[in-house]
Amino acid sequence: MISLASDNLLGTVFGVYLARAKDEEIRKIKVASGGAVTALLTYALEKGIVDGVVTAKRIKGLEGQAIVAHDKKELLEAAGNKWSIVPFAARMKAKIEEENLQRVALVCLPCQAQFFGQMRDFPLLETDFGERIKYIISLFCMGTFAFEAFLNYLRMKYGIKAEQIKDIALKKDFLEIIYDDTTLALPIEEVYSYLQAGCLVCTDYTGTWSDISAGFVESEPGWTVLIARNPRAEELIKNAEKEGYLELKEGSHVIGEVLKKAREKLARAQQNMMYLL
Amino acid sequence: MEKLKVLHVDIGGCEGCNVSILRAFPNVQDFVELNMKYLAKKTCAEDKYDMVIITGGVCMNEPHIIEKVKSLREKASTLVAFGSCATFGGILRFCRGGQEPRPDHRNFQPINSVVKVDYSIPGCPPTPQMVQSFFKFFIAGDERRLRLFKVCADIKKLSGFDLIDDIVLTGLCIGCGACELSCPTQAIKMIDKRPNLIAEKCIRCGTCYVRCPRASQLLCMGGKI
Ligand SMILES: Cc1cc2nc3c(=O)[nH]c(=O)nc-3n(C[C@H](O)[C@H](O)[C@H](O)COP(=O)(O)OP(=O)(O)OC[C@H]3O[C@@H](n4cnc5c(N)ncnc54)[C@H](O)[C@@H]3O)c2cc1C
Ligand code: SF4
Ligand code: SF4
Ligand code: SF4
Ligand code: SF4
Repeated sequence: MISLASDNLLGTVFGVYLARAKDEEIRKIKVASGGAVTALLTYALEKGIVDGVVTAKRIKGLEGQAIVAHDKKELLEAAGNKWSIVPFAARMKAKIEEENLQRVALVCLPCQAQFFGQMRDFPLLETDFGERIKYIISLFCMGTFAFEAFLNYLRMKYGIKAEQIKDIALKKDFLEIIYDDTTLALPIEEVYSYLQAGCLVCTDYTGTWSDISAGFVESEPGWTVLIARNPRAEELIKNAEKEGYLELKEGSHVIGEVLKKAREKLARAQQNMMYLL
Repeated sequence: MEKLKVLHVDIGGCEGCNVSILRAFPNVQDFVELNMKYLAKKTCAEDKYDMVIITGGVCMNEPHIIEKVKSLREKASTLVAFGSCATFGGILRFCRGGQEPRPDHRNFQPINSVVKVDYSIPGCPPTPQMVQSFFKFFIAGDERRLRLFKVCADIKKLSGFDLIDDIVLTGLCIGCGACELSCPTQAIKMIDKRPNLIAEKCIRCGTCYVRCPRASQLLCMGGKI
């Protein structure tokens, strides 16, 4: 256990790991990161620890939609990042009720993790469903796009259409747009103005309200950084390794790198608050 | 471990909040000694408590209520406003006076208009589980989790209107839909990925505001909106 005060920028850090999927099939789909999230969720589903995973699936362009995955196949179909945030709180509730799920894991961004985490800790409403949420997995996040504007920009400046885009990945200070068989690397500064304004004042990089946070660091390509925030989360990660789903290394040496990013996001937020608020 | 000595007093709401606290009682009695008028056997009746919980809003035309709230403040180091009426005025803000059967008056204020409040828990009513959680985190001294309620204690008014003004019209909304899901009266509908408020349906409970991740993060950060 790393001794970081619970009220710091990264939230409660119980353990830090570098992880990647053991399964070749998952790693083939996931080129940029370690596919650890998919592997961890596959483990939880196949062992019956959860009865459904709520995650986002790309429908077109950068847009995503909330879906429930019940097995590895459905998880693989949903792999990859969705850069527009989906209003998936309401949709998720409908899904959980429709399918009468009792133990769900959800993959989301820090802001959504905050909503679900607060709901779980503080059920203000009779209609809340916090007790059904077993695991909240938050991806690290630097922002989501106001995607209509961003897609317009890509079309006008580079002639790339939404349907052509296969993936978008974050590499150092560049955003790589993979379309058809080509890769376009855009400097982050160039695309900042197409982030949602709400993201520009967001201060949470890792998802402090999650059970597990997942992201990557430059110094360990091909690995996913996993932050366990409580003993329950730690147990899930450790058991996924034991059962042969995850390859795991100790990761406390990269926490400084994560913290640096978190500080950058905080600084950006403070700067933007001056004129947005 | 010594039990937390808690006094609950209702100064005029709809009883919904009282029932919520009452329903929580069986699950908190192991660590909380609750004095509440509904509990036949008073578990503790004293001058000093660890915490006083007030439900309902203050009728400003009733001096004796104002005095009562002030005297309650003296009874404990921690004062909690429970429910939207007590925290933000809630549905009591609709009082025009003269309706049947009551109220007679037209000016109701949240508790913090009269005395300093330490924690404000909005919700109409907040659930019994919320009561349990609050006690649990309070006893554990979990400042991070209690922060939102601490910040709310200094706010007199929060509703769907403020959410629209502060988050949506400023362009800070990220379209997550948490507000729509949190509104007990379905006053919020997402249209084109942004919430739309049906004004007549909003009972000023403030739940959407504290549940909006953008708004609650800004509140907790101390960002002035
Ligand atoms: C908008 C966005 C911004 C990000 N910014 C950063 C960053 O700045 N720094 C960083 O280190 N990492 C960032 N990430 C996370 C990173 O790209 C990887 O998702 C993370 O490292 C996990 O890798 P993995 O291979 O283990 O995930 P995978 O095994 O590929 O699993 C990812 C899971 O997340 C789900 N998912 C993807 N997008 C969304 C979404 N929008 N909402 C809900 N679920 C979703 C997928 O369906 C899939 O189940 C960001 C992700 C997103 C979506
Ligand atoms: S930057 Fe913040 S608000 Fe924007 S998507 Fe990420 S976590 Fe949500
Ligand atoms: S907050 Fe709602 S439930 Fe509580 S007293 Fe007021 S109207 Fe009744
Ligand atoms: S919009 Fe709904 S949740 Fe928000 S204050 Fe009004 S009634 Fe309450
Ligand atoms: S909860 Fe907040 S950020 Fe989410 S849709 Fe509603 S106003 Fe927008």
